Amino acid sequence: MMDRNERPAFRRRFGLHFGLIVVCAIVLLPPLWVLRTSFVPEQLSYSNELMPAFTTDNYSALLSGRFGQSYLNSLIVALGSVLLALPFAATTGYAFARFRTGGRWARFAVLATQMLPPVALVLPTFTLFRSLELSNSLTGLIIVYAALNLPFLTWILMGFFEGIPVDLEWAAMTDGATAWGAFWRIVLPVSMPGIAAAGVLGFILAWNEFLFALVLSGPKTATIPVALAALQTSNGVQIAKVSAGVVLAILPLVVASRFIQRFIVQGLTFGSVK
Amino acid sequence: MASIELDRVSKLYGNGNYGVHEVDLTIPDGEFVIFLGPSGCGKSTTLRMIAGLESISSGDLRIGGKSVANVAPRDRNVAVVFQSYALYPHMSVRQNMAFGLKMRGTDAAVIDAKIADAANLLGLQNLLGRKPAALSGGQRQRVALGRAIVREPAAFLLDEPLSNLDAQLRAEMRLELVKLHRRLGRTIVHVTHDQVEAMTMGDRICIMRDGRLVQAGRPLEVYADPVNTFVARFLATPPMNLIPATLQPAPGEGLSVVTDSGAVLTVPARHRNAYGERVGRRVILGVRAEDFHERADKPDWQKIAVRVVAVEALGAENVLIGQIAGQATGKDHAHPAGDDKPLEIAARLSRYFTAPVGSIVELYIDPLPMHLFDPETELGIARPSLMGATR
Repeated sequence: MMDRNERPAFRRRFGLHFGLIVVCAIVLLPPLWVLRTSFVPEQLSYSNELMPAFTTDNYSALLSGRFGQSYLNSLIVALGSVLLALPFAATTGYAFARFRTGGRWARFAVLATQMLPPVALVLPTFTLFRSLELSNSLTGLIIVYAALNLPFLTWILMGFFEGIPVDLEWAAMTDGATAWGAFWRIVLPVSMPGIAAAGVLGFILAWNEFLFALVLSGPKTATIPVALAALQTSNGVQIAKVSAGVVLAILPLVVASRFIQRFIVQGLTFGSVK
Repeated sequence: MASIELDRVSKLYGNGNYGVHEVDLTIPDGEFVIFLGPSGCGKSTTLRMIAGLESISSGDLRIGGKSVANVAPRDRNVAVVFQSYALYPHMSVRQNMAFGLKMRGTDAAVIDAKIADAANLLGLQNLLGRKPAALSGGQRQRVALGRAIVREPAAFLLDEPLSNLDAQLRAEMRLELVKLHRRLGRTIVHVTHDQVEAMTMGDRICIMRDGRLVQAGRPLEVYADPVNTFVARFLATPPMNLIPATLQPAPGEGLSVVTDSGAVLTVPARHRNAYGERVGRRVILGVRAEDFHERADKPDWQKIAVRVVAVEALGAENVLIGQIAGQATGKDHAHPAGDDKPLEIAARLSRYFTAPVGSIVELYIDPLPMHLFDPETELGIARPSLMGATR
């Protein structure tokens, strides 16, 4: 009796999982192939065999060159820009969420800056930064990425702050805190998951950015996307090295996305209110 | 001294609507006041204005005799307990309770002592290290109270603090709050839409509707002498029965109320003078559910025939829902929204009362506590109060 009841359930589960495995394979195959290519010698990289030979030469060649420097540059620029943008984004987002700052119009004006194609901004920025001697410097890139990320981070954080019950701030204010004190001591700690998630998103955007990095950086200040592009030489694309570079470039993002998942899934203010 | 005086306090919103309209009220030091009203009546807004969390559009607000209209919430020395409890989720119970004291620069040893006292009072000793997420609803509620108590504020402002608790816990906490008030002797303003809380907890009830203070008084006074049909219905479950009728002269000096369905009720002699000038005019007869009886225990109780619509057995009592017999279908004057169903009355009867649905039963009305309301203004027609009167 039990068997008869369980069999359709098992079949359904098996069918579902089979479908999921196929979809996962389709999604994962390209990155897995990149991973495979990164461990294959350059000459055999276009082979159809699954693993014609194994080597770590691509990685060592890459890291002995300028790639390590680019990696460090990317880390500095992405982290720096996020750390620069977050305080502004948090305070602006909070102001929009809680006060009638500028009205609805101002909210959209902030977002409207995101609607310009980056290409339209890159040349004026280059001209401006060259006169300020900020081109070919990590500082310049940090400022640009912070500026590009600011509207986006502001909007994300505005959403998080709007989700925090205003009762918490009211409680803090009757408990003796100023409006700033309520923000600093209550709202900020409570919205840490949101701020962290926004920070990770900003990091990913800065980490992947290519256009501004290409125009504003020099050989010493190149970021990973620029360094990867540089592997397309007159002798063709060094696909095994590019693959190794891509694997290295993806690593922080894999870690970051795990973080984001945890923070977003976690309830924001669970326990504070009913 | 922490009296709270609201002097024609109004809250005007940007869209031109009044959230609170010219509320005049003086709450003496140490009084337990209940703000009662349906959702959106302005009671929570009034509380937030007292706390300083909402600005006052016009009028003045004084706490302890000093105008606080332009004083920040933190400088008003009041504590608020919110409906949501608003516990700081990233802090432990102890840190939650210490927060207000720390903000005021209280000495750490004093903070510890006060938290220990409050924890003792509220039975929170074993929960001090926990985060709010690890507490039950009732525990969170007590922590929210504890956070207010440790600060020893001049006044406690409670915004529906019991509404998220289950019925049993709510009854317990009602009693706890009353005891707490007796022990601390501080002014308490308690906002609720629950008429049981209102009747049982406060020294005084302030009933609000559409941003206005409709009636303020001791609970039993307001119950016995509601100023209008709104208060009459709001302050009881089931609400007061409001029956459209006409006031007519009766043989001798008498007066009688003739309902639209033809039932006749003689007006008690002690109300004759008050109601006399309304003879021949339309009125709304107000009879509380508990003034219907199955038997005539007193000679002046008057018989009325009621068609049974339903009998709700509540255990301790049965509530009969019925129509006054012979009554024509018409607009229900008690419900201005006016659906076309015939007017139904509710009568609180003994738990032994039974009657088949559709049958006609004879009930007896005690006419002495009856009320008459003006159908146009819905205001009560003044008559001598029965409060303190011997029957």
